[in-house]
Amino acid sequence: MQRVGFTTTIPLEVLIAAGRKPVDLNNVFINGGRSLQQVENAELAGFPRNVCGWIKGIYAAIKESGIGEVVAVTEGDCSYTKALMEVLSLEGVTVVPFAYPHDRNAVSLTSEIEKLMRHFAVEWEGVNRAKERLDRVRCKIREIDRLSWQENLVSGAENHYFQVSASDMNGDPDLFEAEADAFLKAAYGRKPREERIRLAYIGVPPIFADLYPFLESLGARVVFNETQRQFAMPYETADLIEQYRSYTYPYDIFHRLADIIVETEKRKVDAVIHYVQSFCFRQIEDLIVRKKLSLPILTLEGDKPTPLDARTKIRIEGFVEMLKQ
Amino acid sequence: MRIGIDLGSRKAKFALLRDGNIVHLAEYDTITFYKRFGRLDGEELSLDLAGTGLFDEQELARAAVVVTGYGRNTLSLKGARVVSEIMAHVAGALHQTGLKNFILLDMGGQDTKVALVKDCRLSDFVMNDKCAASSGRYLENMAAVLEVSLDELSSHWEEPVKLDATCGIFGESELIGQILRGHSIARLCAGVNQTLVKRVLPMLRRFTSETIVLAGGVALNKALANLLAHETGQRVVVPEHPQHNGAIGCATLGSKDQVKAV
Repeated sequence: MQRVGFTTTIPLEVLIAAGRKPVDLNNVFINGGRSLQQVENAELAGFPRNVCGWIKGIYAAIKESGIGEVVAVTEGDCSYTKALMEVLSLEGVTVVPFAYPHDRNAVSLTSEIEKLMRHFAVEWEGVNRAKERLDRVRCKIREIDRLSWQENLVSGAENHYFQVSASDMNGDPDLFEAEADAFLKAAYGRKPREERIRLAYIGVPPIFADLYPFLESLGARVVFNETQRQFAMPYETADLIEQYRSYTYPYDIFHRLADIIVETEKRKVDAVIHYVQSFCFRQIEDLIVRKKLSLPILTLEGDKPTPLDARTKIRIEGFVEMLKQ
Repeated sequence: MRIGIDLGSRKAKFALLRDGNIVHLAEYDTITFYKRFGRLDGEELSLDLAGTGLFDEQELARAAVVVTGYGRNTLSLKGARVVSEIMAHVAGALHQTGLKNFILLDMGGQDTKVALVKDCRLSDFVMNDKCAASSGRYLENMAAVLEVSLDELSSHWEEPVKLDATCGIFGESELIGQILRGHSIARLCAGVNQTLVKRVLPMLRRFTSETIVLAGGVALNKALANLLAHETGQRVVVPEHPQHNGAIGCATLGSKDQVKAV
């Protein structure tokens, strides 16, 4: 099965209908066990130090894995992707651009998705069939999320893993579904967790791997993984276009905030961790987030895929202690 | 009786309090202190407090030890209760100033912390991250470039020469360029102090309060307090022992994790 990479969540249904093996390049990079080395390799290849670590990681992951075709999200993610696309083209990788319209216009989005369908030579019938298949898995991922906040049976890291992996279903929806089934079965048999502080994690997924266990060691647990949950398509709708219009991540911050406000209230969240990636434009949005949310907010910045540094730990500890007062 | 210890990046600070009153304060250069009196016992840091000569036998036997400082999350300290830096500094400011509502600006060797305190409770805080160009270490470097003492650097705040480098190291070459232009040392010192204010202003603007409590070793810089008051229009209060504020705070913290003056 031919692998097709993508730079951030795209309509997965198109790749599944086309019989391709989907590869979310972010997941390959961060879970590959060599992520720090990959960022350094990209810097040696000429990527500047003051550029997003995810872009460098994606670049190195493509080079190492030998993936020959990549769908690059040119609108709705970041402008670094455009330059990444150019570098990849230069190096012989087939790049297929995909753009989420900033105004969430249904006609424009339909046109983009149909362009992608033409490229992969699939029709609506096949795409809708793929959606039904994927939705059955997504239901289970939604249940894992519910168990994390409503039943307190799932840790922040476990929920993060399943939500974020739903973007490409780890390349194989059947296997991924079996993994989710086994996890759910085990989770139902657990005793509820007892962390006192309930946190929301908003922003792009963290580049450090140990954030969730560190928070839990302090008695605080993430019960809302904002963008990760979005990657798993949390809104039930039979219409594919509507699904990718409701999806908040690629659109403006206000669309995201509407979801964040509803979910933080519903999940009885005490405070928010806003993660921003070094050199990312979303760092600017922190000031909007702070104006619009009334909960205490800790903004964390990550650059490279390293364990949490001492300074970040000090800030997290102070924040959790403040919440426990 | 309690001993508070604040292990900073430049200085280790100590405070002995009895019934909430300061009995004595002391400090050591951090590196010297660790070399002479610190050792790792597994994952625990052992400090030979008796060896320091800072406390007598009776004090060491009777006093509870509360510690904060850099690296506290990677090490636990044998025989002591460890508290977070932000809590320690807020507790120190509450104890030393008697104020209930203020913004605490703590500027240390590397750290800059800004905390909002409302009705004696910590309600929010921000810290510098990724960059320590607004720190005591920066002031030490710049004093060395200007060949003046820290006291001399700290006495000038009028007519600051404009300095714009965002990096504390590139700032040195920018300063050299300004020396060549013939500006007076007084104006150059004022310029260095002004850069510190510019770097902390975005953090201070996060919060609203009539009063800023300026603590940490950098608070010994009188020019900074003047410039801050001038730039913000807020009242700037420097506690009596700004450099020992964290150590005093440790010694005032009760048995629970609460910011409460003894």
